[in-house]
Amino acid sequence: MKKYIYFLLIPMLIGSCTSDSEFLDREPTNILTQEQAFGSPDIVLSILADLYNRYYDFGTVESWPSLADFNVSFWSEAGQYGHFQDGGWGYGAWGTWDYGYIREMNLFLERLEASTSIDEVDKTRFLAEGRFLRASYYFTLVKRMGGVPLILESETYDFSGDATYLQHPRETEAAIYDFVISEADAIIADLPADTNIKSRATKGAVLAMKARAALYAGSIAKYGATTPQVSLSGGEIGIPAGRANEYYTTALNAAQAIINGDAGSYSLYNKKPDLSDNFASVFYDKSNNPEAIFVEDYKLQSGKVHGFTISNQPRYGAEEEEGGRINPSLNLVQSFETLEGEYKPLPVEDNAGNPIYYNDPKELFAGRDARLEGTVIVPGSNFKGREVDIWAGVQLADGTVVSGDARGQQKELPGATGQVQVVGFDGPIDGLEFTAQTGFYIRKYQDPKAGSGQRGTQSDVWFIRYRYAEVLLNAAEAAFELGQPEMAAGYLNEVRSRAGITTTLTAADVTFDKIVHERFVELAFEGLHFFDLKRWRLAHVVLDGTPIDEQNITTNIGSATKRITQPLGVWPYKYYNPGDANDGSYFYKIVKPNRVTGSDRFQLGNYYSEIGQDILNNNPLIVKNPNQ
Amino acid sequence: MGTTLLGLIKQIRFPVFAVIMCLLFSQQSFAQEDIKITGSVTTAGQYAEPLPYITIIVKGTTRGTTTDFDGNFEITAPSNAILAFSYVGFKTKEVAVDGQSEINVQLEEDIAGLDEVVVTGYSTQDKKSITGAISTVSAEDLEKVHGGSTVSSGLAGKIPGVSFRMNDGRPGASASIQIRNMGTPLYVIDGIQQDEGQFNNISPNDIASISVLKDASAAIYGVRAANGVVVVTTKRGKRGTRNAVNVNAYVGWQNWSRFPETVNDSYEWMRGKAEAEINQFGSTAITQEELEKYRVGEEPGYQSFNWKDFIIQKNAPLSNINISASGGSENINYYLSATQLKQESVLGDEFTFERSNIQSNVDADITDRLKVGVQINGRIETRKNPGIPGADDYWLPRFAILRNRPFERPYANDNPEYLNDIGHNETNWALHNFEIGGYAEDIWRVLQTNFSGEYELPFIEGLKVKGMYSYYIADRVLNGHEYTYDAYTYHPEDDSYEATGGSSNPWRERRTRKVLRNIYQGQMQYKRKFGDHSLEALFMIERQEARFQEQWVHAVPKTNTLPLIYFSDTDAYDDLDDEEARIGYIGRISYNYRDKYYIEASARRDASWKFTPQKRVGYFPSISAGWRITEEPFIKDLLGDDSVLDNFKIRGSYGVLGDDDIGIGAFDYLTGYNYNQGVAILDGNAVIASRDKGQPITNISWFKSKITDIGADFYMFNSKLSGSVDYFYRKRTGLRGRKYDILIPNELGYGLPDENVNSDAQYGIEGALSYSGEIGEVSFSVSGNASLSRSKFLESYKPRFDNSYQRYRASGEDRYNTIFWGYTATGQFQSQEEIDNYPVDIDGRGNSTLLPGDIIYKDVNGDKRIDGYDETPIGYNNYNPLVNFGLSLYVAYKGIDFTADFSGASGYSWNQNWEQRWAYQNDGALNKIFLDRWHHADPLDPTSEWIPGKYPALRYNDGGHSNYNKNSTFWLHNVTYLRARTLEIGYSLPQNILDKIKIQKARVYVNGYNLFSLDNLKDFGVDPEISDDNGLQYPQNKFINVGVNLSI
Repeated sequence: MKKYIYFLLIPMLIGSCTSDSEFLDREPTNILTQEQAFGSPDIVLSILADLYNRYYDFGTVESWPSLADFNVSFWSEAGQYGHFQDGGWGYGAWGTWDYGYIREMNLFLERLEASTSIDEVDKTRFLAEGRFLRASYYFTLVKRMGGVPLILESETYDFSGDATYLQHPRETEAAIYDFVISEADAIIADLPADTNIKSRATKGAVLAMKARAALYAGSIAKYGATTPQVSLSGGEIGIPAGRANEYYTTALNAAQAIINGDAGSYSLYNKKPDLSDNFASVFYDKSNNPEAIFVEDYKLQSGKVHGFTISNQPRYGAEEEEGGRINPSLNLVQSFETLEGEYKPLPVEDNAGNPIYYNDPKELFAGRDARLEGTVIVPGSNFKGREVDIWAGVQLADGTVVSGDARGQQKELPGATGQVQVVGFDGPIDGLEFTAQTGFYIRKYQDPKAGSGQRGTQSDVWFIRYRYAEVLLNAAEAAFELGQPEMAAGYLNEVRSRAGITTTLTAADVTFDKIVHERFVELAFEGLHFFDLKRWRLAHVVLDGTPIDEQNITTNIGSATKRITQPLGVWPYKYYNPGDANDGSYFYKIVKPNRVTGSDRFQLGNYYSEIGQDILNNNPLIVKNPNQ
Repeated sequence: MGTTLLGLIKQIRFPVFAVIMCLLFSQQSFAQEDIKITGSVTTAGQYAEPLPYITIIVKGTTRGTTTDFDGNFEITAPSNAILAFSYVGFKTKEVAVDGQSEINVQLEEDIAGLDEVVVTGYSTQDKKSITGAISTVSAEDLEKVHGGSTVSSGLAGKIPGVSFRMNDGRPGASASIQIRNMGTPLYVIDGIQQDEGQFNNISPNDIASISVLKDASAAIYGVRAANGVVVVTTKRGKRGTRNAVNVNAYVGWQNWSRFPETVNDSYEWMRGKAEAEINQFGSTAITQEELEKYRVGEEPGYQSFNWKDFIIQKNAPLSNINISASGGSENINYYLSATQLKQESVLGDEFTFERSNIQSNVDADITDRLKVGVQINGRIETRKNPGIPGADDYWLPRFAILRNRPFERPYANDNPEYLNDIGHNETNWALHNFEIGGYAEDIWRVLQTNFSGEYELPFIEGLKVKGMYSYYIADRVLNGHEYTYDAYTYHPEDDSYEATGGSSNPWRERRTRKVLRNIYQGQMQYKRKFGDHSLEALFMIERQEARFQEQWVHAVPKTNTLPLIYFSDTDAYDDLDDEEARIGYIGRISYNYRDKYYIEASARRDASWKFTPQKRVGYFPSISAGWRITEEPFIKDLLGDDSVLDNFKIRGSYGVLGDDDIGIGAFDYLTGYNYNQGVAILDGNAVIASRDKGQPITNISWFKSKITDIGADFYMFNSKLSGSVDYFYRKRTGLRGRKYDILIPNELGYGLPDENVNSDAQYGIEGALSYSGEIGEVSFSVSGNASLSRSKFLESYKPRFDNSYQRYRASGEDRYNTIFWGYTATGQFQSQEEIDNYPVDIDGRGNSTLLPGDIIYKDVNGDKRIDGYDETPIGYNNYNPLVNFGLSLYVAYKGIDFTADFSGASGYSWNQNWEQRWAYQNDGALNKIFLDRWHHADPLDPTSEWIPGKYPALRYNDGGHSNYNKNSTFWLHNVTYLRARTLEIGYSLPQNILDKIKIQKARVYVNGYNLFSLDNLKDFGVDPEISDDNGLQYPQNKFINVGVNLSI
């Protein structure tokens, strides 16, 4: 009988053949120790990859609204309408205080420095990349928050009950800009001058960052004088006017270093004969693109793709039930000059106030700066081989409009038998989300590849953070501010001739308005417009809370102070009057989408984002930002 | 039976038979000098009826037999033996043989079941000796519930303190069960800890009983038992009974209990839109002529279409058949069962759930002292439905009802060959089928085997050692493919169809998951009676380990037709391999004196792999005591002989329970780098990113639940009336929180790690009462139960508040949880004049957006504007009701029986929102509730007079308006419901007919489940067990079933 007992004991023995602690110790399947992590260059790159991924952009292709704020577009998604019905932004908007990211970059630099397993060549470059990313984030902080505590070493709380030794005050705004510039100088020698490297730090990226940072600092020094309320006595906000020239000179030198080829041979992208296609290609042509300097890159079938095209491509013919969200505003569209370099409203009516009829809806936009159709999809243009179908309705001879509530809806027209389409498959239908409620869609960053609108595939169009055209414009602005308009005209003309503008600017043509305008149209939807408005202290002027009407939108085009508090649109209609010469032609009406009921006011307290109460509570040395 | 089940049986057949054979051959017989005894067993009372299948055991041996059809038996036993006669529902009777060769016995029905055996922690106890708060549900109760496919649906309203909430009624769905609102309980099936899914998907037919341990009595299960324990015991064959084959089968038909209704009339929709536009913008493009065309509804584009009728099929079938065989000889007993269930959805026969279960429980005595058992439980669950975009394939079809507008039609030109391009085609139901949309199939294959052995040690009487090994393997394979498709626009001018929409995005995925679990238990049990003293002791070691492996792959195939996934089409692959391990040492000792005083103490030492090695171990003691005061001589004297009070017991328990589910990950105590934190594209290559794990969490350990329970049980009028009451209080300390008294600058870059510092409480009362009796030939029973359980946050570590308002608004200190904050609606504006003169800015725009009928909010702080400072507590923000109650009625007359069960709840809120709050959300359909609204007498004339209604005047998809963007008493509803659960009438064939057809038992029944509900949500078309603010959840079904129970 005893033999049975052994059978009984077997399971208990199986259970107890390991000690309790052995039984409880399980191995993690996705955690590396610090020694393993800094023991091989591949893993160091893996950590660096995360630091690159956490780079802060103001706008990005992964978050479509962020690229298209400040009324350069209407957001055609019902959940976003509220942005066009309120009066502006809270003080906390755009705030960032990611010292966790800074700590990890500091830890990365310290641990890598201490590692003996990485050879010096790799180590030098990795360290420079880490410092580039850290400087980039301090640049982000100073742009949004002003001067911040400058933490360059990882710290640890000792659980002593007294954390005062961890309290650091805000540096001045200038000191942070100076830090960004000095870091650029310190690391540039350690980075490659290779124009084929776009997604990692290079000499070109460092110089571009330095030029942009110095230009921003210079303009805050100069234009901050117009808004003395936007400053703090300790210099945490505001840069002394006396330093403007120094910063402008730094900016010009850094930009010229790129232009002169010190960082490799960058140039404007000029590969396609159609200049609009050429401009659009800057943002998606990833092979031998000489213009892109530093990008966030994506790759199909890698796990890193984005849905910008899904969210924004024309709804008609889209791969999915998606698209059409960013609707560029008429305010932006008409800012594009004629090819002769003149500011003109769109020819919607003749001098007598009668509508002008067009056989092709696209004709309205003919003869404009090629960047218009490189940036915006206008009625009648093509995307992915299909003509967008944007028209708002059929207008009868007596002025009655027949339209529909659904995209491409069909109805009967008086005097005709059978149903015909009475509204475009892309709208516009007022209030109907995902239709072109301003009459336009965005083209910049749209991926023309088949499948880019599929949720399962998505897009790998990159997001360009620094590109050569901006470097030229930075150089032009710095030169202009340093009293060298001729040099500025030269740089501007390079950018403008790529856009097909036939008249060249002379030194006399270069004004502050011109600088502002050129950046507005060239860099639209790139996340830079906002910081331009801030550093020139123009934001509270152009976003003053006053509504705009259909009349005043067509005047004063090209002025730096032109109001842009609401997005307007222009809609094509089909004229229906059998027998009439204009039957079947299109004409246009300027409209304010009826979901736009608020108008934006940028308050002085919006210039620098509010520092959260918890941050102030936790560190009494932090002073608040002004006007909040 | 499905072929897959046969396949499964084939796979496991050999080892099972090997074990059974081995056990059979090891039987031995014991021939001794005995006498032969014959006799009969009948019911007690005037009309004695023979009792078949009564178990007769020779006490102190394993020898036994059962009575035959006519209640006769024959057994051999020593002449000085004692025979024990027992059967469920009857009081056990012991008769001394005393040399008699004929013994006739009458058994009394045991109405309240004081000696009923209840399964508790790792053991069983008589009901009278229980000192904890433990309630049970019997197999009979469960068998009458035909309200879905999972076990949980059988618990509604049955047990005091158990809340039942079924907010999804799709095929295969389960209800969420909570004990005293403490959170998800632990499930223990036949002594083995299991997850909720395993509990829900065993076949209800195989369950012998369910016990719910609500207080410190759960402490014996230690880790993860802090929310109470549901203990399930499966059926076993009885020793010495003849083989019985039971067939239980039913078929039912399901319909949705409720779902929101929309206006299926294009004219109403368009008229509302015209009103809305005039209300919002002062004008509309919709003309009277247009409206007239919609009203007439004949021209294409102006007709009406009823999407709900198109989508929802009536009377979706559900069927279940269970066949079981059980029986036992002197040394072996067995229960074998197979069940096949199929449930379709009201969305049609392509939306299905199927399950095949087998259960095989065999126990055998190898020798007098050595017993072994094998339990095998297996199942295959298959969920199948068309492939539909979105994570939940049942969502879009429901959303379509609220999204699709009445003038939209599923087919272009009504030609079923061409899917119509309605502009939001994903909600076009015409594509949601295997043909056009694709498929999704999710299969779980689960096998659970327990091997147990028990040995009575020869040298100490009452001492046993036991061992159990349990192996569990679950295998999931999910395959989904959403096809590409075209949607068309019809051109009447040339009678052509143009593909103008659709999807070119195929979605192909496969998810596989394997769960492997080993549980090892070793036990020593001691049980002995010394005169008036009974002593029981248990010592046990339990080790549990589990491993979870999962892979998910996604592809974008080029074709809709081929099912395999190829490497070059794939774009995502996720891999997971996790383990867990826990060890428990358990000790328990219980003592009673003359079945009068009971005391029990237990302790458990648990260790979990989740914590840092220094913090792994937790100790969880508990103690409970009971006093049957009716056993006290002086009480007996006091009550006298005619006392109606048969039994009264006071009991109390206190215990500390642990939980390692504190919200940290398994390796949060380590430093280092987490690999695979996204991908960066560097130099064109995908580089897998790694991120620093941050500060290790090394000071976190178990949080502790201290549960106190004081209760009483009583039996009166010969146990016809019985009841119990309980008060309970669970305090949890060591909840995860942070110490805020040291302010650490954010610029440090990390916060202080969490610690075990917060505390909360859950407390309440519950009670149950039941009465059974007979009037003439009618026997009946009535029972009811009710419970209240609330939770309160007690304290955090030195909380900080910026100011007194923040304290009021954000503090949880010593405050009830589940507070819903919102505005108080004091009424609706009656005229434009009232709006113009109203002193408080309601909409933040100087009241410029307001119209008569709009909601007036109370300006609580008197600052003349309505903002967040005007919010106060207005209801509950929980969906788990604070109050639960149940009612049951059972009546039997001759062969006819009738059962009615009700359950209800109160103390929770529904926040009417989204489609239920503002009209035309998503440009969609118009909810019928908005027909009762403020509107102009002439919809197109804004100067015409206002006609009042319940809801504010329409706006078109304007959720930002002050009527709709605030949670208020206008939209929040505190809900109470009472709903019919089971209503069943059955008829059992009388004995004389059964005898003729040689069947032991035959019963047919008609059963209804969820047939009606009394509550305050009916007007909104939402089920009272609501959780979705917009009422869009898949509601519970109403069932009508017919079935049969046969014993052969």
